[in-house]
Amino acid sequence: MSATQLKSVGDSSWRKDGISKVTGSEQYAPDISVDRMWYGRVLRSPHAHARIVSVDTSAAEAMGAVCLTFADVPQTRYNERIVSTPPCLYRDRTVVADKARHVGEALVGVAAPTEELAEKALRSIKIEYEVLQVITTIEQAQKDGADPVHDTVLLNGEDKPIINNVAVQRTIDVGDTVKGFAESDFVIERSFKTGRIYHAQMEPKTVICQPEADGGITVWASTQSIHNTRILLGQIYGLPLNKVNVKKVALGGAFGSSIQMNSVTPIGVGLALKSGHPVKIATTREEDMHDHVRYPSEIKLKLGMKKDGTLIAGEMHAFEFKLKQYVGLGGTFWGQGPASKCIIRSDGVPELLKTGAELINWDKRPKPGSQTGRMRRGIGMARGFHTSGVGHAKASGAEMIDYSGAIVKLNEDGTVDLIQSLMDHGGGTNHAISKIVAEELGVPNHMVGISPCDTRTSLYDVTTHATRGIYAGGAAALKAAKAVKEQIIDWAARVLDVLPESLVIEPDQELGQGVIYCPNLAERRMTVGDLARYLHLNSLGTISSSQSMRQVNCPPAYVSYYVDVEVDTDTGQIHSRRAALGSDCGTVVNPALASGQLIGGLSKGQGYALTEDNQWDPVTGELASKGFWVDGKTPSISESPLVADIETHFAHTYEPTGPFGAKGLGEAAKNPAAAAFANAVYSALGIRFYELPITPEKVLAALAEQAAGKTARAARQAPAPVPVAE
Amino acid sequence: MKKHTVRFSLNGTPREITVNANELLLNVTREQEKLTGTKYGCGIGECGACTVHVDGRPTLSCLQLAVAVDGAEVVTIEGLAKGRELDPLQKSFLDNNAVQCGYCTPGMIMIGRNLLDENPNPTEEEVRTHMRGQLCRCTGYASITKAVMGAGKCATGDFKIPAE
Repeated sequence: MSATQLKSVGDSSWRKDGISKVTGSEQYAPDISVDRMWYGRVLRSPHAHARIVSVDTSAAEAMGAVCLTFADVPQTRYNERIVSTPPCLYRDRTVVADKARHVGEALVGVAAPTEELAEKALRSIKIEYEVLQVITTIEQAQKDGADPVHDTVLLNGEDKPIINNVAVQRTIDVGDTVKGFAESDFVIERSFKTGRIYHAQMEPKTVICQPEADGGITVWASTQSIHNTRILLGQIYGLPLNKVNVKKVALGGAFGSSIQMNSVTPIGVGLALKSGHPVKIATTREEDMHDHVRYPSEIKLKLGMKKDGTLIAGEMHAFEFKLKQYVGLGGTFWGQGPASKCIIRSDGVPELLKTGAELINWDKRPKPGSQTGRMRRGIGMARGFHTSGVGHAKASGAEMIDYSGAIVKLNEDGTVDLIQSLMDHGGGTNHAISKIVAEELGVPNHMVGISPCDTRTSLYDVTTHATRGIYAGGAAALKAAKAVKEQIIDWAARVLDVLPESLVIEPDQELGQGVIYCPNLAERRMTVGDLARYLHLNSLGTISSSQSMRQVNCPPAYVSYYVDVEVDTDTGQIHSRRAALGSDCGTVVNPALASGQLIGGLSKGQGYALTEDNQWDPVTGELASKGFWVDGKTPSISESPLVADIETHFAHTYEPTGPFGAKGLGEAAKNPAAAAFANAVYSALGIRFYELPITPEKVLAALAEQAAGKTARAARQAPAPVPVAE
Repeated sequence: MKKHTVRFSLNGTPREITVNANELLLNVTREQEKLTGTKYGCGIGECGACTVHVDGRPTLSCLQLAVAVDGAEVVTIEGLAKGRELDPLQKSFLDNNAVQCGYCTPGMIMIGRNLLDENPNPTEEEVRTHMRGQLCRCTGYASITKAVMGAGKCATGDFKIPAE
């Protein structure tokens, strides 16, 4: 089926959760309250590395508060992110820690009838610490004699020692690199550094846990996966999963920061179980900033290539970095995590590059170093990708868990309920999947509703990560919709007294219904609603299907970036002026929302490239910003290009393994941003930068060195970390 | 702590509440009045998610003491739609797909409504200046800018909220 024949997929109607979001009635975890609810707070470590010698909670308990210390929680270690199977799942966490491993680590949970009392009780807790060596850099951590941050790590039931703070080393070899470099016409070697950016999702992480009379719990939590949260809580607290019910609520952004069970979630559950009261913990922004960042990375890269640019050899040494290495069109390459491979069956890159180049006037880009004067413009490009999900692969004896489920049922008036635990981070994934269901069933888009659900009433979905939502989650819903359609056709054939093969279903916008008809027998027709009512009134049952599915491929979603910057050589500021952003996401299910994802990717990518770096004091390990959000330099409306200066475009591809030809988009939307901005700055100044973010300070220092006639190489060196003043 | 009685109008309805002197308007609307549309994002006036109108002025309710709204008219996101009719700016946010995760949306709409009340047809530069204190991590701001600039073209009553 070509995209032009599609009815629901590809339109830009209002997203189904839109009205509740613009009227303020959408419920996010922080908006949930229940009767008899207590408030929880978390005592967090002021030290970056310290062993707890003693904890005294007697004053807090005397105030009527309930406390949760290391002695009160199950001592079994877990990994808060369970998308891998046990052979590669490293377990090193407990609900609250017996040892602080970073400033802000959760040490004691406190709950009380009011938030004020909980805070007072928290402040009365006395902890005696044995302060240990602060380790804030990779070099410090690996020195002989460095204090171990973790003594051991649990892997598949085995307690493994950690030497020099390295828990796992992974070597990936493909082919013969010695031969490859020997045959290369050019070999380049570079070192890169990236910053430590904060996810800055708008919703602060929250949990509400209500203990139930049967010994079970009901939980509302900020999460990318209600089912993984349920499994972990069941494992930690020894509860059967049918006694752990995690509710699906809207998520106020995540960007990967809720892929794991958030630190407050099991603390809230522990406090609720201990106190017997429902407990709500809503984190402050400062607490949230301590809990997660994108790890900074240091990468040493060596590439060998032929004169025509074909890459034939590569070596990379990376810390805190996942390998993504391109091997070639039509072959395979490593995607998200080194355990997955994908087959390329749709490739829109040539189209993206051509369109993007035309939109930005690539041929007229300034020659690097050709400009003088204060303001200098430059155009840069880069392309990137993200796999759509993690596909199906076994490597090193380990495997990623990757499947989704969906329930589709036909209601008694012909409307349809889509029940799916898959979380929407905001990109419109649930809305898109409801359109895929409408498309398959042949009913108008508005007939398919997205049901509220929880872990008890929905099928497992691994988590919304790895750009898998529409490609993998959509495929599971499509599978259920196909089964429902088969039943609709089967019943309609009996009612209309025709062969099932002769029937089609199409949406009729005037009737607002799907119409089932026989193309060459005009009178043999009925609406899906008529059929549903007939089945209901004759007690013939509900048409429904419940399906699980794993996609075996994980096709790359490609993105191209062309950006135009203006560098102020007096201040060192880099202004983002124009952008042409292209996506090959296969069939575009939500065009306007997909365009919005690209522009959102530009904003986040611009922050990553030019401004954002959540710095820590290298001596104390404290957040340099002290929890002030804007110190992290999240881009605001003022730093964005003007609306007319951002163009988005889509490749005309069809992914044969995706639902109606669709693949992913989300994370790919940001991936090439930093390289494109660095190339644009090179175009403007003739200076290469290899360390993110490219701050005004770095620009001014590089310009001064350029002016002093030093080599450009010297400009690449990073300034030494400067301790933050007291 | 001494309790204070505060009388004010909340989305057009007269309210009388009793609060501590240090109680914040955000907590009153979210917890006492159960109007959770106004969001807590940072608690220190950095992100704008908690923006409401106090006597028509955009106000960060996470920094506003509740006792200070005595006698004032407070409007939250829940007070914007007229009965079952969306405000033109709410409709414009939907038309322009200016909503992603939606957590910044109530604050964005409240500050945007305030700009439109003063200036029904703002230029892009005026929108950028007026809304520079609001953070959004999803959209990159372009769709939001278009929604505010385009709201003048949407008439109230263009869209009715479907009946429950």
